[in-house]
Amino acid sequence: MLIENPLNDSSLAFPILECFHIAGFVCGVGTIALVNLRLLGVGLTQKSAAQLWRDTMPWTLGGLSLVIFSGLLLFSTDPDMYYLNYAFLLKIAFLLLAIGFYYTAVHRAVAAGKGRVVACVSLALWALVFFGGIFIGFV
Amino acid sequence: MYIALVRWLQETDLFSCIRGSAYTYPVILSLHMAALALFGGMILVTNVRLLGLGMRSYSISDVLDGLRIPKRFGFIFVATCGTLLFGSKAEQYSMNPWFRIKITLLALIVIHQLIFRGSVYNNAAELDRAPQIPGRAKLAAGLSLLLWTCMACAGRGIGYIN
Repeated sequence: MLIENPLNDSSLAFPILECFHIAGFVCGVGTIALVNLRLLGVGLTQKSAAQLWRDTMPWTLGGLSLVIFSGLLLFSTDPDMYYLNYAFLLKIAFLLLAIGFYYTAVHRAVAAGKGRVVACVSLALWALVFFGGIFIGFV
Repeated sequence: MYIALVRWLQETDLFSCIRGSAYTYPVILSLHMAALALFGGMILVTNVRLLGLGMRSYSISDVLDGLRIPKRFGFIFVATCGTLLFGSKAEQYSMNPWFRIKITLLALIVIHQLIFRGSVYNNAAELDRAPQIPGRAKLAAGLSLLLWTCMACAGRGIGYIN
């Protein structure tokens, strides 16, 4: 059965969704990066890493929700292309790793108040998500 | 004159090299985006605190002073990547209406910074002493969020026009 996706009716839908996608990753990944920088001793160092985790959490969760939801809608416009695109597959793999790592290893490091290596690994995983996303259009 | 300048720019060795390689451009674009998340997160948190919408455990001084230097590095990183991307296709970009909007927004951001630097961004101690967050701080934060959001969207728009 062929189902028409209404998002493909307008040429504006995709770029507007991409703007929401960008706003979402800035809120979500931007605040995650701040927590990782705190573990590296950079930025908002006046309070504990645990306090920064608590204060940024609503923005992290809101941003991640927005970026994932807009991402699913972007994916829905051309799923055949995306799931055959190896940059996209790598991006999703790194995304799952990055989220999983943040809520396990980084969370533990934040509770302990130290973890420079963990912070670097987390930042590197997120950077790889960006590389995967950009390379979708270049492979 | 202007066209001659952008043509000369994109023919320099550095920018020809970026244009000539299949992977250099997307690598720089990826770095531009990753740095945008990092830098944008700092802008967001600063303005959210100035608006009183979050980060309440931190004083305004904590946020402004803690992020002042990282924000500078972040901006330099994003802008350097952006300049490299521009230079590699200088002629094409300079004709692109979204690129022109983006540069106009960047100029407005500089003006915003000049207007509010003294009364808000370099005045954290006084803002913390005030019983309520002053209106000018909230105005500065709201405008900053608006300008940076438009900047990111204009950047995305560039890719849709050849």
